[in-house]
Amino acid sequence: MTASVLAAGVLEDTIRAFFQGLPIGAGFALVAMSFVLTYKTSGVFNLAFGAQAFISAATYFELHVRRDWPIWAAVLVAVVLVAPVLGLLLERLIFRHVHASSAVAKLVISLGLLVALPELFKLIVDYNREQPFGAVGIIPDGTTIYRLFGRYPVTRDEIAAFVIVVAAAVALAALFRNTRLGLRIRAVVQSPRMTELNGVNADWVSSGSWMLSSFFAGLAGVLLVPTTSSLGTVLEPTGYFPIVISALAAAALGRLVSLPAALFGGLLLGVVTTQMRTHVPRDNVILAELQGPALPYVMLFAIIVFWPAIRRQVAGADPLLGVSPPPPALAATSRSRGMTIYTRIMALAFFTAVGIFTFGYANNFWISRITHSVIFSIIFLSIVVFTGLGGQIALCQVTFAAIGAFGAMQFAQRWDISVMVGMLAGAAIAAAVGAVLSIPVMRLGGIWLAIATLAFALFFHDVLVKYSWVGGSLFHGRGVPRPEFLGVDFSSRENFLILCVAILVLVGVLVILIRESSTGMALRALRGSETAAESIGVISWRSRVIVFSVSAGIAAIGGGLLAMEERLVGYEANFDPQTGLFWLVIVVVLGTRTVEGGIQAGVAFVIFPELVLHRWLGLDGAWRYVLFGFAAISFARHPEGLLEHGKRRSQALMQSMFARRQPAMAPAGAGAGATAGDGPPADAGAHPGDEP
Amino acid sequence: MNGPAETAAAPVATPAPLEIPVLELRHVNAAYGPFRALFDVSLTVGEGETVALLGRNGAGKTTVARVASGLVEPTEGEVMVDGNDFTKVRAHRYAKAGVVHVPEGRAVFGDFTVEENLTLAFSRTHDRSGVRNALTRAFELFPPIAQRRRQIAGTLSGGEQRMLAMARVLVESPRLLIADELSLGLAPIVTDEVYAVLGRIRDAGTSLLIVEQHMGHALALCDRAVLLDHGAISWQGPTEEAAEAIGAALFDAGAQ
Amino acid sequence: MSLLAAEGITKRFAGITALDDVSIALEEGERVGLIGPNGAGKTTLFNCLLGLLRPEAGSVSFDGHDITRLPVYRRARLGIGRTFQRVELFSGSSVRDHLLFAHRIRSGTGALWKDVLGLGLPKPAEIESCDALLESLGLGGMGDEPIEALSLGQSRLVEVARALMTQPRVVLLDEPSSGLDRAETNALAETLARIQLEQGFGLLLVEHDVELVASFTERTYVLNFGRLITSGDTPEVMQDPEVRAAYLGDFVAGTQ
Repeated sequence: MTASVLAAGVLEDTIRAFFQGLPIGAGFALVAMSFVLTYKTSGVFNLAFGAQAFISAATYFELHVRRDWPIWAAVLVAVVLVAPVLGLLLERLIFRHVHASSAVAKLVISLGLLVALPELFKLIVDYNREQPFGAVGIIPDGTTIYRLFGRYPVTRDEIAAFVIVVAAAVALAALFRNTRLGLRIRAVVQSPRMTELNGVNADWVSSGSWMLSSFFAGLAGVLLVPTTSSLGTVLEPTGYFPIVISALAAAALGRLVSLPAALFGGLLLGVVTTQMRTHVPRDNVILAELQGPALPYVMLFAIIVFWPAIRRQVAGADPLLGVSPPPPALAATSRSRGMTIYTRIMALAFFTAVGIFTFGYANNFWISRITHSVIFSIIFLSIVVFTGLGGQIALCQVTFAAIGAFGAMQFAQRWDISVMVGMLAGAAIAAAVGAVLSIPVMRLGGIWLAIATLAFALFFHDVLVKYSWVGGSLFHGRGVPRPEFLGVDFSSRENFLILCVAILVLVGVLVILIRESSTGMALRALRGSETAAESIGVISWRSRVIVFSVSAGIAAIGGGLLAMEERLVGYEANFDPQTGLFWLVIVVVLGTRTVEGGIQAGVAFVIFPELVLHRWLGLDGAWRYVLFGFAAISFARHPEGLLEHGKRRSQALMQSMFARRQPAMAPAGAGAGATAGDGPPADAGAHPGDEP
Repeated sequence: MNGPAETAAAPVATPAPLEIPVLELRHVNAAYGPFRALFDVSLTVGEGETVALLGRNGAGKTTVARVASGLVEPTEGEVMVDGNDFTKVRAHRYAKAGVVHVPEGRAVFGDFTVEENLTLAFSRTHDRSGVRNALTRAFELFPPIAQRRRQIAGTLSGGEQRMLAMARVLVESPRLLIADELSLGLAPIVTDEVYAVLGRIRDAGTSLLIVEQHMGHALALCDRAVLLDHGAISWQGPTEEAAEAIGAALFDAGAQ
Repeated sequence: MSLLAAEGITKRFAGITALDDVSIALEEGERVGLIGPNGAGKTTLFNCLLGLLRPEAGSVSFDGHDITRLPVYRRARLGIGRTFQRVELFSGSSVRDHLLFAHRIRSGTGALWKDVLGLGLPKPAEIESCDALLESLGLGGMGDEPIEALSLGQSRLVEVARALMTQPRVVLLDEPSSGLDRAETNALAETLARIQLEQGFGLLLVEHDVELVASFTERTYVLNFGRLITSGDTPEVMQDPEVRAAYLGDFVAGTQ
């Protein structure tokens, strides 16, 4: 074989991969442009686009496949009606009201929606009445293959996807260039206040751009059903994760603010994906992996870490930025003495009651539920440490828990070493992984940190778990024994529960010590004001790396215990990244600041769907996703958590009732709002010298 | 707590009984979160009147401008536009009522072309052909801008950006123009040009509220001056008396 | 050799020269003012000194070391403290906590293992030294108050106290009078002067309240259009016609 023939073959492969890459990239581009649109017009980094894309796709599936509607009618309803209306509702009912909140708070809300919306949709249309099998595209006979220039095979679906996306991009460009709405959207993107000064209602424009972006997400949802192999034919919300991640990578190329960059970034990543599959040799395991599902995650992570545009501070392009009022002040972290005592008494009473129930009356089922609650409390304390103390969002706690579980399993299976040692080794590995992972991204913080950790979690889920040195082999199974150490056998349910409670107490004390310590102080300072903290010498990324690493270790301990409790690593049931999102949401909703909040979240996670939803209300357990997902909206107002907020309110109420009866004992520190109205009345040069 | 404020402010708030002022602030307090910016400011701008709002940096001039155009909602007090209560009204409604605010610093959309900047402003009140006519008029009035109609506004010089903002105002002849620190960062000769345009706007019948720190130009242009100090009005009167009063207030107050 | 010195600082933003070859210096224990009209480049220079901005040309040195490329926290650890124009406090923390944080970071007792062994809790001596500083700033007895309960003037003092707990050799004050009324400004100036005499740290005051600068500093630098237009003993600078012109425009300067 001569060199020229070889070269011609390579060239042909390259061209073929190029044509295969464009339609895939077109889908990425569509979602990426949606990201940019909403991020620019309302500052919301809307991870819920995955959910919106799914809802449109599932509506189409429901109408066309299950109810035999004609294609055009199903598309009309799913994409032209449902998607924009959903976008409008989200903007009107939710995001408009959290305008002044931080980017991280908005991200948490969009996470809640990502969890809640698909489940709500499924419940409403009873989606799971049978397996959602046999999803098809919106093009009749979409799998028909054509040959471009007589040699490069593409399917009708792929051609359609590419053409539609290009048409959408052209239409968008025309809209922006030639229409009044387009001009106004671009104006709002630069400065909502300046736009208002030109007599344009910026809120209406914002609604318009949400409808537009939601329409794009919906369009991407139905278009991508056939073109991505990873989606398969079972239509589930998780299927949209890789696409969302790739779209994020594309949007990140333009620092989330450039629409053209999002479009070309999407196409580029699509082409890169197929080129990698074509040209990179498969004999190396890592390289082979890069051609498969790993690619989007690696790309996103690499872009976040290495793309210089992201490092650049976003210049305050809006000259009227200073007009906006500062975000609402956070509730005080410290509790009053009375509340601490009250909390401790209630906790003691609660644990005594549960203890008596458990060891006196409970059957095996309830002991197992209670053990689960304890274990999840431990896992959720890792979120308390990082999100509550560190003030940052990480979405890979579930991965660290899985590392702990697999650590226990591997040590026991391979070397017959005690599972406790394995679990601790897993915790050490998780802590190390956490540190290594976080060093490059921790400087960025905020939403970039959240996205990078999500990319890692999905990378672990789609790639690493399949390796036998991580997830074990099918041949051996994923069995995990219960421990036996210090001469005590913890294999009985009751003994194991006691062990878990002891570990929970230890971890709880650790969390409190960290909170009260210098590191905790540095974190509290950073949460209050990053610039001020740095001005007294706090090294922001270092404190966060430490606490992220500790939090990873805690999650791994919890994961190890969970595997022991279930006597196997139930990876799919317990450690799916989607589950991880729900973990974060439930902890954030109930209370991230306190150990108590973590425990409440643990109990709620396990007991609530079982007891309240299922037994008392007779509802589907999926309602928990809907309830807690939507409850995440409260994070913008009450970052201390709903339970903590409720307690503070009821305490304030009791105090005011008490104070009315005994006016002399009015609380001294009640003047929190006193700064607003005590300005001395000043006039015509003469300032009365009254000190406020 | 209203008591002393009412009595102290009484002599100042004396609007002419018959004429309804274009803009009136009544006992306005304003704040950015805990950061209080204005204390009991009362101010009127009458029909065709030109008022210079002076004071050192941080005295609250810009906040007065923002309250007067609806960007900042006062924590106390009222804002009236042409006799209507606009206190809780959003900024775009002020603009529709004819209150135009050219904010401090970059007062144009930096990513837009010159033409797009003007189109955005005109498209609110004009249809497509009306916008075209208004554009033509703007370019007639400002030939230098016409040459740069396809240029990105962010790449214009500071003076040209001000001219662009002025062009819109001159075509629309609004009720009131609030101009915030137009001379900021401009060379003196360019400032002269900008103020010449302001004079044309005034002559076309638009009331002016001019916020300035370099007060020479503002005093030459305006009928009346208001001096702010630490968020409160410390002096107001005809411009002829202003220079002395203000020079003293700025530099020599410490020696009193 | 000066304690803190900036040599030939030039900084451009998108083609606009915000600072043009500016040099300033501050000796140990000296009180220096930096004034200039809005947009003169005061804040840019301030940010270059603190490490929030990298100048295109020129160098910053502290105690003989070149610190031009050091990040903010490294400069803080060397002994450069600061306050903020818009108060930056740690919401959700008590007044004393602000001081404790600063002390901890300075003394470097923040190893995690100590924390976990419970050795990280505040010692009585630390609490005492915090309370002593609060006392001398007129905030005695307020250590346990949540920071949200303080007035703006008190918050400014907490910022000063927080900076002082890092045992700085120089403190940079960013427009401490903004948002305060005249009486509050005077009270703040008095307290600052007293504590500076007691502790002897160097002090750079960036202000537009000329009066405050005049009452408080020994030497003053004046910026305009990104250039140093004059510097010297404060009383002389205040009488300089060029300074008045920079603030007032030619109109007023000519009449004086």
